[in-house]
Amino acid sequence: MKANLDKLRNIGISAHIDSGKTTLTERILFYTQRIHAIHEVRGKDGVGAKMDSMELEKERGITIQSAATYCNWKGHAINIIDTPGHVDFTIEVERALRVLDGAVLILCSVGGVQSQSITVNRQMTRYKVPRIVFINKCDRTGANPYRVAQQVREKLDLNAVMLQMPIGLEADLKGVVDLVTMKAIYFEGDNGEVIRETDIPAELQEEADAKREELLDAASMYSEELMEAILEGTPTEEMIQDAVRIGTLSLELVPVFVGSAYKNKGVQSMLDAVTAYLPTPKDIHNTALDLANDEKEIVLTTNAADPLVSLAFKLEDGRYGQLTYIRIYQGTIKKGDTIINSRDGKKVKIGRLVRMHSDEMEEIQEAASGDIVALFGIDCASGDTFTSQDVSVSMSSMFVPEPVISLAIIPEDNKAQINMSKALNRFTKEDPTFKTFVDHETNETIISGMGELHLEVYIERMKREYDAAVEVGQPQVAYRETITQMAEFNYTHKKQTGGSGQFGRVGGFMEPMEEEYEFVDKIVGGSIPREFISSCDKGFKKSLEKGSLAGAHITGVRVTINDGSSHNVDSSDVAFQLAARGAFREAYQKAKPVILEPIMKVAVEGPSEFQGAIMGSLNQRRGMIVGTVEEANYTSVESEVPLSEMFGYSTVLRSLTQGKAEFTMEFATYKQVPKSVAEEIIKKFEAEKQKSK
Amino acid sequence: MLKEDLIKKNPLRVLNPLSPESLPDHRMGLVMARAGLGKTAILVQIAMDSMLRGQKVLHVSVGEDLGKAKAWYDDIFKYIAEGFQLENAAEIENELMRNRMIMTFKEAAFSRPKLEERLNDLVYQNIFRPDIVVVDGYDFGEADYESIMDLKEMMAAMNVQVWFSALRHRDDDRMSAAGVPAPCHEVDGLFDTVILLQPEQDAILLDIIKDEYDSAAGKVLNLDPSTMMVKEA
Repeated sequence: MKANLDKLRNIGISAHIDSGKTTLTERILFYTQRIHAIHEVRGKDGVGAKMDSMELEKERGITIQSAATYCNWKGHAINIIDTPGHVDFTIEVERALRVLDGAVLILCSVGGVQSQSITVNRQMTRYKVPRIVFINKCDRTGANPYRVAQQVREKLDLNAVMLQMPIGLEADLKGVVDLVTMKAIYFEGDNGEVIRETDIPAELQEEADAKREELLDAASMYSEELMEAILEGTPTEEMIQDAVRIGTLSLELVPVFVGSAYKNKGVQSMLDAVTAYLPTPKDIHNTALDLANDEKEIVLTTNAADPLVSLAFKLEDGRYGQLTYIRIYQGTIKKGDTIINSRDGKKVKIGRLVRMHSDEMEEIQEAASGDIVALFGIDCASGDTFTSQDVSVSMSSMFVPEPVISLAIIPEDNKAQINMSKALNRFTKEDPTFKTFVDHETNETIISGMGELHLEVYIERMKREYDAAVEVGQPQVAYRETITQMAEFNYTHKKQTGGSGQFGRVGGFMEPMEEEYEFVDKIVGGSIPREFISSCDKGFKKSLEKGSLAGAHITGVRVTINDGSSHNVDSSDVAFQLAARGAFREAYQKAKPVILEPIMKVAVEGPSEFQGAIMGSLNQRRGMIVGTVEEANYTSVESEVPLSEMFGYSTVLRSLTQGKAEFTMEFATYKQVPKSVAEEIIKKFEAEKQKSK
Repeated sequence: MLKEDLIKKNPLRVLNPLSPESLPDHRMGLVMARAGLGKTAILVQIAMDSMLRGQKVLHVSVGEDLGKAKAWYDDIFKYIAEGFQLENAAEIENELMRNRMIMTFKEAAFSRPKLEERLNDLVYQNIFRPDIVVVDGYDFGEADYESIMDLKEMMAAMNVQVWFSALRHRDDDRMSAAGVPAPCHEVDGLFDTVILLQPEQDAILLDIIKDEYDSAAGKVLNLDPSTMMVKEA
């Protein structure tokens, strides 16, 4: 257990895909002596980097899950959450950011600020995460950290201030100049583990002086003491560090460091920066909702003696069994304690408490506020709050987007069927954006999520981790239906065929609205008895599940009932539900229903020579090109494209641009589909209906 | 208010009459002002007026980022939609934004061959064929007569109307015979229309110092400094 919160950092490493965050994390673990040899992400030795513990990640060279790991650096304990870089896994990124106190934003010194970095940065801003920037890959051809720092200012709107400058660039990268201590730092030995500090090379002195001026100017904004010292010509290292730290914590300043993780340069100084500038758990205000007091927001204390409040932010089903990663915000958790899941009120006894180092673990007896640890064998979902028995609070709910794409999966045999259920059960608990259900008409299992790659990864995991081979259907876009004008209804449901009859009449109107659904009861004089009003609501809600145009979920409807009649004997809950469904059917066609489709914000980046081809490919996909950004020889095209047109786009883009362009995609909005496309969707839906009959 | 009324009542009709027989398609206009007076606001309103009339607008922004240019359109549209209680605003906005494309260039990346290449990309693939191009942030201080002549010829060949904005410097008093200040005093002959923004007591005056087609003769336009919208004085 660590008693001293000042010496604890919970940090995330976030970045654009392929900017080298897994390599960087690997180096951190090496220098902090958690591992004893360095493996590359796509290494020839077949071992793979430590943080990519899932086989699939090793194979694809990308990081899918945010494995938490723990290390020590110069007397500080650091918990690192390695976060995925692809937008399809955004929920993982957001979940990781939630439990972090600070973050390192890795940027590639050649590629600079790319679209994913912009998304991640926006998320960091949403969760108010103080950050530092590490400009990696300074050894690459075309490296220009100054340009990247400028992009951080322009594209990310951050007050980026260089605290280091590189000594040499590209193949000549030798080390860094620390602008606080005004020393040159070289990283020597086989793995850069021997640090040698010398004077700044004479040819860099002038530039270093100028850069230090810039640093002092920026830092002095946050400290009177430093400002005065600068005027007197006596600023100390400590004063500069304190001022930079204040600026960083207030999110007004972002210190920038440079290096190359792959060439073992600059990683240790970045670790120093993590401990010097990123917040301790005490620096961050965390709040929870008081369930006993109408969900009023309360501030958590970080005091280890206070009642426990912790958040389960990640579940993992590994070879040791089920692991639940928790972040403790307040209080202490001990082995043998009984805690409560505030979502369902269930009591949970803590059997084993461990600290994780990627896929290895260390057994511990207790952990206190601020820390990130894992529990064994707890049944819960990601995002659940665990507290001690004497309090009733919940961490505020996280922002969870609705899935936009789905596909049918069919197990190949009986064994696969059983394993598939297990896998789906696990995945849906781990990832709230991944959903599954059985389509009652086709009896197929449908999975849905945030993008093609998102679903692909789960299908792969099903095969590898659960031995569940499944056949995969065509991806389906989650269409929606809505109405465009007001329409009235007056429907009588009557049935008298033996036994007790059914009778109910509902009158009123439906109209378009912004929100999903609203039911307005304007019945006066009891023409529909009180007890059946909710039956009407239920009937309308049921009708929303499947629209008549494309069988899609109906949204944006306000239903008002203002008339009706009932029968003493024959009226019942069911009768009014059926009457409401009849009324909905009657009015829906009159309300001019339309089909809506998910529109994605698609950003494609690549060398300028391919701009024409990129724009053409987006245009062919019914995309609306919002604009282009051209810089040096690199262009990014921003567009809005219907999701249904984006299937297989990565392959098309790769062949169009010789693999030199890449794209990111995130959900933007729902928009009405053009008439010709709507007709096709309706035709297809009709054909499927016929087939299932 | 309906879209058609909005078009008719737009004070910018002074510059772009609805029956444009008198105006050639490849007119070249210039909006000049000191920093912060509303050059971009005027360019965006000229663009927006064209978009409302169903024309395609290419907005070229030199030095600014895409988000900022886009925000100008969003803000001006929002102001129009709310201020004039535009009917079917969401639908019109959707339709309008399809008539616009934004291209942003870093200062060093902007040149006639680059722009021509990009325009050709758009036109040949039938992605977007602009009727009007607005160029915001072009550095006239660094440009010579030939390069602007070159741009003018290119736009004329493509048959598009083009509007530039130019930044006036406080400490540069040079001026052409026609009253066009530096840095455009030596190239003023290339422009058919020149508008100078002059700050006055409680509004910013759109001083139309030159208009080859004389459609704006005798009209005085203002820019409301709080909304950045053009109005008749």
